[in-house]
Amino acid sequence: MITPVQRAAAALLGLLVLFAVVGPLAWPDHAAQDLSRFLEPPSLAEPLGRDHLGRSVVARLAHATQLSLLMAVFCVVTALLVGAFAGITAAWRGGWIDTVLRGLSEAFIALPALLVVLIFSAVANGDLWTLYVGLALAQWVEYFRMVRSRSGLVLAGPAVEAAGMLKLGPAHIIRRHLWPDLRPLLATMATFGVGSSILALSTLGFVGIGIRPPTPELGLMVTEAFPYYHEAPWMSLAPVLVLTTILIGLLGLRNKEARL
Amino acid sequence: MSMRLNHLTVSHAGTVLVEVSGLDFEPGVPVTIVGESGSGKSLLAHAIMGTLPANLMARGSLTVGRASYDLSDRTNRRGLWGPVMALLPQEPGLALDPTMRAREQVAEGAASFTTDKRGARRSAGALLASLGLGHASEAFPHTLSGGMAQRVAFAAATIGGAPVLIADEPSKGLDRQARAELAELLKRHLAGGGILLTITHDLDLARELGGDVLVMKDAHILEHGPAGHVLTDPVHPYTRRLLAAEPAHWNHAWTRAGARAVTPGEPLISGRGLAKSFGGQQLFSDLSITIGAGERVSLSGPSGSGKTTLGNVLLRLLPPDTGHVHHAGSLRGGRLQKLYQDPATAFAARVPLRDSFGDVIRRHRLKPDRLEELMASLRLAPALLHRMPGQVSGGELQRLAIIRSMLLKPALVFADEPTSRLDLITQEETVSCLMDQVDRLGAALLLVTHDEALADAVTRRRIPLGLESGAAEELKTPA
Repeated sequence: MITPVQRAAAALLGLLVLFAVVGPLAWPDHAAQDLSRFLEPPSLAEPLGRDHLGRSVVARLAHATQLSLLMAVFCVVTALLVGAFAGITAAWRGGWIDTVLRGLSEAFIALPALLVVLIFSAVANGDLWTLYVGLALAQWVEYFRMVRSRSGLVLAGPAVEAAGMLKLGPAHIIRRHLWPDLRPLLATMATFGVGSSILALSTLGFVGIGIRPPTPELGLMVTEAFPYYHEAPWMSLAPVLVLTTILIGLLGLRNKEARL
Repeated sequence: MSMRLNHLTVSHAGTVLVEVSGLDFEPGVPVTIVGESGSGKSLLAHAIMGTLPANLMARGSLTVGRASYDLSDRTNRRGLWGPVMALLPQEPGLALDPTMRAREQVAEGAASFTTDKRGARRSAGALLASLGLGHASEAFPHTLSGGMAQRVAFAAATIGGAPVLIADEPSKGLDRQARAELAELLKRHLAGGGILLTITHDLDLARELGGDVLVMKDAHILEHGPAGHVLTDPVHPYTRRLLAAEPAHWNHAWTRAGARAVTPGEPLISGRGLAKSFGGQQLFSDLSITIGAGERVSLSGPSGSGKTTLGNVLLRLLPPDTGHVHHAGSLRGGRLQKLYQDPATAFAARVPLRDSFGDVIRRHRLKPDRLEELMASLRLAPALLHRMPGQVSGGELQRLAIIRSMLLKPALVFADEPTSRLDLITQEETVSCLMDQVDRLGAALLLVTHDEALADAVTRRRIPLGLESGAAEELKTPA
């Protein structure tokens, strides 16, 4: 079942998660400035040196990785729960509930996802929760539409009709019919969803409208390090490496279901 | 031109699936292979065509006219496909390309298609018109009835002028009229000096074609002779059993002839003034039906006559256009059950059967012994419950579906073509399992079938549907 590629990808992601969990404990202070240590090159104590304000780069990188992973997971879980619940409700109840939910999802599809996030971060500039709400709002639509169409097929099928004649009730239908059918689909979508959330978050940071500056964030770190690329290339390359690792790991994790 | 098959063996990982020492085909004489599912009869046809799955090994040789072909090479007969050999596939509704119009896909088979598309289309149109499908040449396959789709597939298979035609279960899913038309087409091919090999488990088709009949079981040919002889006065005990498995020859306690006359009890389902139409076609109108406790009723008629729809209306799974269906109180709480044509779609597909059954037992607080008892009395191994629905054969899965419906001791069972996908012997086994249980519970049975012999064997009252002639010929309007 598990291919060597998947095992390697899981190991890669495991290392990264370890870094996100242990890193902030090992290098707790990411905000302390020491201007006398301006652009200090890497050493044993500071594996990635210090930045233009003399802050520890590895501490900032560890905190940024933790933030990105947590935000992405929370956004995806929220979007998945909301989307799946709305999708099953729409397919099950039909009628006006279905019409309203579908209309709403179409309105969201008409807007580019990043625009939704941008509007939200413009409203309350750079707060963490606005980014979270914006990203989740941009993503629930795909879960909703996928779950709705798939559940519609399953619910209209003879297996569910037979369950109805056996008076097995809605809990059985969700547990034995809908969930086994949706699970592989949702797992694949969520894997890609985490990747795209991390990218979206760092894109916003990179163009300077994401999380507000003192908080370390991967995209923001790349932007801040660019002016010093010739003196300290490791500073801008480190966050890029983290991003690449996350995305390669997530891509490697996908199984056969993703290609269906 | 004649064809001869010499010393064919088909094997998979050391297991022999087909072993035939020699078989002769003469122009104008149909050869029909009959047998139950898994006897290897379809593999024989595919070994001749060169379309066996890659994991199967074939050995032997095929002589067509003067040329000889080694059967272990899967590719050497590709050049024959179309001009010399053609296969009429199972279930034409699935074999035809759903995105192409009838005439277009027939034209692709013409030898001249690559050089002269217009000419190929013209001859395809002419061929379809000669099969009585002139009005359907621009139709998409999903708008065709089963019989019409079979004729389009026949046109596509024969437009290349192949003298050798292999038909694999051509009558599967066809009603009586469509089957008679199919036999007519196959005979026409023979009259033109063609060679015909038909693989079927439909003995009526074999009788209608005549010629030579071969009976196959467990990879071997058991009996071989003229149809009139083999199918009326068989020598081999297996052939006798096969003939006895035809519904008209059934002899069980519950068949109509032997059963006691039961006066129907209180009405369980009564429908009054029912009407339903689909896509502008009126299926039935002003129909009133009452089914009493313990009664056995069948709904019969050709495909597309609305039998299943009427059944679903009576079960209140579909609303009627007009009229009203009333259910007696004794049907509440799951005492009304349904069996499906394809049992694989009636179970949760990705859940082991033991969980599907466990849910029913827990929900209705049944004794788990009841399941074991039913499994034993329907001769099913308990180990089957550990599999997924897709890993169980059609006959066994239909018996499991019967068990599931019997767990709740139903007062009425609606069986929708429960055996139309099964071969004769499996059909008899499945129906007798169902009828034993129905008898034991004194339940009423509503059976939908296009097989009149089956309806006669099992039920006492028959409601015929779709008597207006030619209705099945009309194109269905796409929904």
